[in-house]
Amino acid sequence: MRAVKAALASLGVLFITIQLIPVSRANPPEQNNPDAPAAIVRLLKRACYDCHSNQTRWPWYSFVAPASWLVSRHVAEARRRLNFSEWEAYASDPDTAAHKLAEIADQVASGKMAPWYYRAAHPEARLKPTERQALIRWARASWAAVRSSD
Amino acid sequence: MPRKPTVVKAFVLILGASTALVLAAPSFADDGAMPQLRFERGSFAPAQLTVPANKPFKVKVTNGSDAAIEFESFELHRERVVPPGETITVHMPSLAPGNYQFFDDFHHQVPKGLIVSQ
Repeated sequence: MRAVKAALASLGVLFITIQLIPVSRANPPEQNNPDAPAAIVRLLKRACYDCHSNQTRWPWYSFVAPASWLVSRHVAEARRRLNFSEWEAYASDPDTAAHKLAEIADQVASGKMAPWYYRAAHPEARLKPTERQALIRWARASWAAVRSSD
Repeated sequence: MPRKPTVVKAFVLILGASTALVLAAPSFADDGAMPQLRFERGSFAPAQLTVPANKPFKVKVTNGSDAAIEFESFELHRERVVPPGETITVHMPSLAPGNYQFFDDFHHQVPKGLIVSQ
């Protein structure tokens, strides 16, 4: 019994100690988002922006280690791959913007985005089939527009 | 006293070596030449490109291998697929002085390259 108490106390101390490790939850300034109809922007904000923009709504568990480490790392990686808040930077190379749009369409069509574990914790990120189709249509139409203007 | 000529010799040697290194590095200042990268035998050549700072530029990327590569840079916000045997032109923004990594996102074992803006 004493050993169990000691183990629990140690775990408690460890849990409190790891809360002191700093975690980045920064939302850098917005640059320029993609040009999209208001309905599409709403869908993107609902299902994608928490990870793929500088407008992350940091959930409560992102303030509790060790979950905070995972969330912080996941958002950093997602922003590196695609950051809607820095769309202007992609657009300065039209073929890069087209590539990103094609990837958005593919990822949404395949159901890989938003990931299942994110959808499980964030019901608002679950897209109805019609919403999914609307996002895919927008991405493909924007892709075609970029390609034709290149 | 006899140490002085040695110090001078060492200084001249280092100066010479530094000048040779600077001249040998691919640099694309104001001569209008488009920097070029070639992917072949599992690596980019040159591994380091030097470009003028604060000035937009273009880079030609040629894939000399027999598999598609994805030329990507998180810092430069660039991501382009280069089919085997093809050459693409990547538009780059004006860059603040510094180092910017690029890599092949299809083959993570490929050594990363560097664009040096100065």
